[in-house]
Amino acid sequence: MEITEQIALTVLMGLFLVGIAAWLARVENWRTYSPVGGGATGGEAAYGSEEKPSGLIRWLTTVDHKDIGMLYGAFAIFAFVAGGLMVIVMRAELMDPGMTLISNTFYNSLLTSHGITMLFLFATPIIGAFANYFIPLLIGADDMAFPRINAIAFWLLPPGALLIWAGFLPIPEVIPAQTGWTMYTPLSAGVGSGNQANAGVDLMLLGLHLTGVSATMGAINFVATIFTERGENVSWANLDIFSWTMLTQSGLIIFAFPLLGSAIVMLLLDRNLGTAFFVNGGSPILWQHLFWFFGHPEVYIIVLPPMGLVSLILPRFSGRRLFGFKFVVYSTLAIGVLSFGVWAHHMFATGIDPRLRASFMAISLAIAIPSAVKTFNWITTMWNGRLRLTAPMLFSIGFVQNFIIGGVTGVFLASIPIDLLLHDTYYVVGHFHYIVMGAITFAGMAGLYYWFPLFTGRMYQRRLAKIHFWLWLVGSNVTFLAMVLLGYGGMPRRYATYLPQFATLHQIASLGAFVMLAGGLVWTYNFVVSWLEGPHVEDADPWNLKENGLRTNEWAWFEQKRETAITDGGEESETVTDGGEKVTDEE
Amino acid sequence: MDDNPGLSEQYRTASPWPLFVALGIPVSEIGLLFDLFPIAVGGLVLFCGSIAGMIDEVGYVEAPWRPLGALAVLCLAVGAVLFVAVSQPTRGAAVIVAGALLLTGGVAGRLFVRDDAVPV
Ligand code: HEM
Ligand SMILES: [Cu+2]
Repeated sequence: MEITEQIALTVLMGLFLVGIAAWLARVENWRTYSPVGGGATGGEAAYGSEEKPSGLIRWLTTVDHKDIGMLYGAFAIFAFVAGGLMVIVMRAELMDPGMTLISNTFYNSLLTSHGITMLFLFATPIIGAFANYFIPLLIGADDMAFPRINAIAFWLLPPGALLIWAGFLPIPEVIPAQTGWTMYTPLSAGVGSGNQANAGVDLMLLGLHLTGVSATMGAINFVATIFTERGENVSWANLDIFSWTMLTQSGLIIFAFPLLGSAIVMLLLDRNLGTAFFVNGGSPILWQHLFWFFGHPEVYIIVLPPMGLVSLILPRFSGRRLFGFKFVVYSTLAIGVLSFGVWAHHMFATGIDPRLRASFMAISLAIAIPSAVKTFNWITTMWNGRLRLTAPMLFSIGFVQNFIIGGVTGVFLASIPIDLLLHDTYYVVGHFHYIVMGAITFAGMAGLYYWFPLFTGRMYQRRLAKIHFWLWLVGSNVTFLAMVLLGYGGMPRRYATYLPQFATLHQIASLGAFVMLAGGLVWTYNFVVSWLEGPHVEDADPWNLKENGLRTNEWAWFEQKRETAITDGGEESETVTDGGEKVTDEE
Repeated sequence: MDDNPGLSEQYRTASPWPLFVALGIPVSEIGLLFDLFPIAVGGLVLFCGSIAGMIDEVGYVEAPWRPLGALAVLCLAVGAVLFVAVSQPTRGAAVIVAGALLLTGGVAGRLFVRDDAVPV
């Protein structure tokens, strides 16, 4: 590098650090003297926020688990919208067989970024949002065990996202990664005549590394919180189902993510320092082993907590407790253990030893059993129940429907002879989208609608919520069923162009995606408008959970918070009596 | 810093350090990976400085200088290994310089900053 550039960089870096030091001095000062109270809206100011600064600084410096939960949520939804728009462009390109709208390389870039964005910047963080906000409330803890580590874990995500998307930003000579989310070597090692030696791939890998560090910190925090911070009346025997799934998920993260981190570092070293792990004489298949040893647990990392959400929400609208609670917990733990023994089912077609292959097939088939146990428990919970088809309930039922199709298609893939036919076709894409979109995202929506009154103090528009649900249910099944059929026809995945015989099914898949886009727009409108000017919730139990003795701790906290807000001179005095009267019901 | 964890109303609900710990990691990673000397040094100083600040804030120590010194020594050691054993002279130098800066900061803070903070 030229000497002037060096000097410029040094000066910039120096200014940056001095700026931070100056800002810190100011903030520290402000903190030791008189903190500016209550930057929050009406109700929130009442609950232990004496020490919260106001405005933007509150959000930059917060270590309160509820605030951090909101930050995770905002970040995840932003990423979801970004990843969703990427795929809309891709589905538009796939409306006809040739290369029309965008170039093939740009398609590959979007494909890579869509996958990584949805898995690491949406799915994992949205779970973090629910967990941060609600685990401490559910288990009666004051906060997370390590509030500052919690904040660090969140703040690693925005720089991580910037790095992952860096290739799309107008930085000279940096292009987006086109490796697919699995980053298979040798392509991702940048060898050969391709363009993947570009710094954009390094930046993406660094970003991924950061999100991994973030997830690991979060997981350690959740384990410590659930083990050590439970309230006096919360024992292992009556720990709620969402906390159980988070505990298992955190265990999986602690074992899986450091491995991804190490594999990424090895890949970066191969790319930049000429080491020979995967290329230059190393083994490209080693990457696949390391990646999938992380990657398969990862799919359970992102599905277990949504299963927990559904197990929590579904019974509340069935008028009864979760059927076979114990077995749902056991099956969660069983999935957690088994998920580390199946990774090579992603590698059946790589020519690994057939005896190894068979054992991975056996365990992959076995993991379907605990998954089925859960499904039967959800169905039995609803059986003869008094169902109330609210939006969160609809999304929970949609979750179960989509999870059944996603799971059953997975069982077929676990069978070696079938996998050899269907591997790397759209069938696989259909399989996992039934789960990641049809199940995980649906469960996320169930949670967002269920707790909307709790975190906004307002109610959404029910009609729009139902329109959203039906657009998504129809859209996702149209799209992903078409993908399964495309796979049967032999359409390979990850191509911007295809043979004319696949056109009809591709157009149907795109149609479904546009229907989902419409549903997404309805959802965005509903959430924004309802948040700003929806009707205030009338009492602290908007779902009438007390009637059936199904109220959980976070709603009790909500009631307490509303009461303090009102004694503080908050709005709406009639809500107190409304919420207060119900206390006489069974508890 | 006299907060009293355990009582929820008195939990400190804000801290300026986590943001900068989180920022320090990517900056130093980019600097080291792409061998950009100033970025690597700055990132490490930011990262280690913020950690020391945070340890001090939580009340594990009475002043941030000792943890700062410890992190500086760690940087010097890692830098030396990079410099000599892994034969990465430029990257090693960046880590060593960061360690030296941190050490200077720690020693200077120890000697010259008057400790007028209210004891815990
Ligand atoms: C019932 C249990 C399941 C079984 C037996 C199963 C089986 C499989 C198999 C064998 C493959 C490899 C297909 C191939 O590439 O040839 C696969 C791919 C995949 N599965 Fe599943 N699966 C199950 C559940 C899940 C769940 C719950 C998720 C997500 C949360 C999931 C996400 C994925 C993903 C993302 C891929 C594709 C990876 C890629 O990009 O190549 N699966 N599944
Ligand atoms: Cu798998």
